[in-house]
Amino acid sequence: MISLCAGIALFSLFISAGNKPGPGPTYLQFKIPAGWPKPATDIFAKNRLSEEGFQLGKKLFYDGRLSKDGNFPCAGCHQQFGAFASYDHDFSHGYNNTFTTRNAPGLFNLAWMPAMHWDGGVNHIEVQPLSPITAPNEMAENLDSVLRKLRKDTTYLRLFKAAFGTPEINSQRMLKALAQFTGSIVSSNSKYDKVQRGEASFTPGELNGYNFFKANCASCHKEPLFTDYSFRNNGLAVSPFLNDYGRMKITGNKADSLKFKVPSLRNVALTFPYMHDGRLYSLGAVIDHYRSGIITTQPTLDPLLVNRVTISNKEKNDLIYFLNTLTDTTMTHDPRFSEKVTYFSH
Amino acid sequence: MKNRFLSIPLFLLTVFSLSGFQKARTSIGQPGLLKITFVNTVKGKPLQMDSTVYTNPFSETYSVRKFKYYISNVAVAFSDGIYKEIDSYHLIDESKPASLSFIFSAAPNRYHSFMFMIGVDSLKNVSGAQTGPLDPLNDMFWTWNSGYVMAKLEGNSPQSKVVNNKVEFHIGGFSGEYNVLKKLLLNFPAGISLDIREGKTSEIIIESDLDKWWQHPNDLKISDHPVCTTPGELAKKIADNYSNMFSIKQVINN
Ligand code: HEC
Ligand code: HEC
Repeated sequence: MISLCAGIALFSLFISAGNKPGPGPTYLQFKIPAGWPKPATDIFAKNRLSEEGFQLGKKLFYDGRLSKDGNFPCAGCHQQFGAFASYDHDFSHGYNNTFTTRNAPGLFNLAWMPAMHWDGGVNHIEVQPLSPITAPNEMAENLDSVLRKLRKDTTYLRLFKAAFGTPEINSQRMLKALAQFTGSIVSSNSKYDKVQRGEASFTPGELNGYNFFKANCASCHKEPLFTDYSFRNNGLAVSPFLNDYGRMKITGNKADSLKFKVPSLRNVALTFPYMHDGRLYSLGAVIDHYRSGIITTQPTLDPLLVNRVTISNKEKNDLIYFLNTLTDTTMTHDPRFSEKVTYFSH
Repeated sequence: MKNRFLSIPLFLLTVFSLSGFQKARTSIGQPGLLKITFVNTVKGKPLQMDSTVYTNPFSETYSVRKFKYYISNVAVAFSDGIYKEIDSYHLIDESKPASLSFIFSAAPNRYHSFMFMIGVDSLKNVSGAQTGPLDPLNDMFWTWNSGYVMAKLEGNSPQSKVVNNKVEFHIGGFSGEYNVLKKLLLNFPAGISLDIREGKTSEIIIESDLDKWWQHPNDLKISDHPVCTTPGELAKKIADNYSNMFSIKQVINN
């Protein structure tokens, strides 16, 4: 039954698994786009996805009360029109005129991501929000205070009851609801996807770019997610301001120095500026990095990049055409993920 | 029954492996209750937070402001099996007297040893949002490098050169070379057993001697290491020391 639907309902990511009337949440089936790998672990196995849980998570995601002064909701740094990255910001603004110390990545296809953050320090989607909520340069709040604010709001009491059966508001429920929302955001309807499904075709330039990409970039930025989620050094000089050595901070292992998580390139035209610290402002600058900017003396530089990448100007242009086919406006305009529209029927 | 005082020499502290765990045999009749109580001390004297100044083996002085640690996977062993506490996670926090004891029902039997893990097992460190003793509200969860702080000791010492002469140990790390998780088995000495009887509560009192944090096997001076707040080699060394802080003080059979 489900597999039958999977064939047909390509874009409708949610299939109501049995519309049971009466009390209790309406459970949803998380849909894996056709041809995609299964996530290594099912993030909804112990956090059963429901319409009510998703809607509660969405409300929390857009709610400034999760931050100390009310001004820094998750959505402040993760904007839907920018594929849930901080649009046009190398660093995002945090509480009290601070900046984050890394570039905010886009949020989509998180259900496939084994470890979060540029250094992979966060090992589960449910505990991820603890980091922005408590960081002094992000939301600057503490968990206890967030929960006290939520408990004063009868709407939340009602939404928690709808999602979890009782109106109890605790950290576990809040975190699980947030994970239901962020984990449900799937980007799988770019032009690239339509070409894969035979619904569209590449222009000659895009096709050249795609072929070049498959030969030179896809071993790290692996299709169809456009990342293999590994940690690699792609030859950027260490920033003297941030001294960010990436993965090494988490593992304590010198071999991990300057390694960062390979980012997905889906929606990459929207998620500029680029790299963990947002140092490169355009796709042209990124390609110039790969052809002439890679620091080849770093001992942890990825073996695939020790000779840099030979890219002609024509290939550069074609590559940019191709990267632009990864933009998924279905996701960036999906009312299901946006603040205003809600389908909550209760 | 009479209280029996036991002091367990260090060599009886053996590390056991999780594979040693077996399902308890189903027992007939009503379960009894087992109460576990932790008494935090410094060299045998009850710990006094804040006010009292202590001296470590290197003649360095310090006071204690926070002292808490996780105990998990509690079990008691009998001749041919073990009885495990279900969902066994406890945060022992010196500032919260109610946290120093816990009770669970156990199958009536005669037991010869007490087993537990210092810290939160690796699985719970990677399983997302938890509640109860494992709620991140308890301030024992790292947000930037997911995982539990297994043990926390904070205070002050004039020998600490960091701001406000702070001493701050947040010990964690649940995988790899510097995994700090420790499984302990404390045998009751020959002739002493824990007897769980139907409808009765027996008790094990464990002493945790904070003085053990500084020495054996690793000499750790406050002047050299006033702070440790990340997983790694130092955290592992500190955990190697504090795993020797537990001893069985008393077994009370009823
Ligand atoms: C002040 C800006 C800011 C706020 C507010 C914020 N984030 Fe982020 N977010 C970031 C930055 C910067 C990163 C990258 C952090 C890193 O890699 O160290 C990030 C990373 C993430 C990631 C990991 C993505 C990946 O690819 O690894 C997720 C998921 C996420 N944020 C969700 C949230 C949620 C949920 C909230 C609200 C509870 C939130 N963020 C609030 C800036 C912010
Ligand atoms: C050896 C693995 C590897 C190869 C090959 C590789 N990349 Fe990357 N790429 C990375 C890593 C790692 C990062 C993140 C580096 C950082 O932020 O420090 C990255 C970042 C990027 C980004 C920035 C994305 C963002 O959201 O910030 C773009 C764009 C990009 N790569 C494009 C390419 C292109 C185009 C190619 C082929 C010419 C390529 N990459 C080849 C590993 C690789």
